[in-house]
Amino acid sequence: MKKSLLTALACLSAAALSTWAMAHGITKPQHGGVVQMNGETMFELVAQPAGVSLYMIDEDEPVNATAMTAKLSVTAKGKRSDVAMVPLKGNRFFAKGLKLAKGANVGVQVADKASGARYGATFIIK
Amino acid sequence: MKLYRIARFATVAGVLAASLATVSAEAHGIWFAQRAKQLALIYGIGADDLEMVKRLPQVEKIEAYDADYHPIKATARVSGPVVLIDSDAQPTVVAAVMPYGIWSRVGTGEFEKKTLKEMPNATVSTHNIKYAVAIVGPLSKPLAALPGQTVQIVPAGPIPTTLGTPLKYVVLYNGKPVAGAKVINDMVNDPDAKEVETGADGSVTLPVRNQGLNVIRAVYVGPTDQPELYRQVEHTATLAFTLAHAPE
Repeated sequence: MKKSLLTALACLSAAALSTWAMAHGITKPQHGGVVQMNGETMFELVAQPAGVSLYMIDEDEPVNATAMTAKLSVTAKGKRSDVAMVPLKGNRFFAKGLKLAKGANVGVQVADKASGARYGATFIIK
Repeated sequence: MKLYRIARFATVAGVLAASLATVSAEAHGIWFAQRAKQLALIYGIGADDLEMVKRLPQVEKIEAYDADYHPIKATARVSGPVVLIDSDAQPTVVAAVMPYGIWSRVGTGEFEKKTLKEMPNATVSTHNIKYAVAIVGPLSKPLAALPGQTVQIVPAGPIPTTLGTPLKYVVLYNGKPVAGAKVINDMVNDPDAKEVETGADGSVTLPVRNQGLNVIRAVYVGPTDQPELYRQVEHTATLAFTLAHAPE
């Protein structure tokens, strides 16, 4: 009886541990960009010839970009430029024509249109 | 006779200095922390996350700053029992100031929210002001003395990535290092820790305590600016920052 109780407890704690370890879902870039996490939300920034894309994944689920607003704040050489991103299909936002210089500090801020929640992350471009 | 007078004067001066130097009316403070991924302003001490919403009218200033410490517009938003901070862009640093009234007492009695005019026989009368600064993005230059932060804790070097690493902090009073500020390393998880006083250069060095949220607190008792109302100003400042946990 005691043994089976111990086994059950061991299984339960192992399950709890494994659930915790997986709590943040995907944390690796999905589009060849660079990644920053804010808790369980992954922001992926991708510099492309035509501009800069941002992809958002929240606990393994792609976020619907049209339900959010997104802004990039690029600080370089003592000046900040705020750039509103355009929501595209799926979880992608895009800032057309934007170039990110090496060493720039890039703040990403998103706002949920329904709840008003604002949060984000900051990248240092290498 | 002369010796007696000197000794008596020294005793009175000593008692007065001790009362000015050690009386702290209120250990609570304000700090920034994450709530549901958003930035929130907290009032409390230790695990006491107290009612910030009812205290929000007392908050005098909320500011956000970019990586060059240029201001970003920021406002408070009540969301249920929590006060969230909305900024117009992703900030590197956020700051707040909350005057917390004038408190007086007689002897070892309870503090009452009264001025010296209302309690002329008070032995302690203090104006309390709370300050909070949080580093929420990577710093590309040393943290500046921020407007409105009469007392501010600044890290004197880069924020380490691992807990246990020593970090030197400087406590500023009106933008300059101040000796005698009392510092604790973790207002949330170790609120009763023995306070460490800043040295002549205004600094203390402490190991970073948490691989997560760190809230450093400094209390500095400064001179009164309205002697008819209170005898001292108690400035309680916090500096919050987080160390990231290991990738999963």
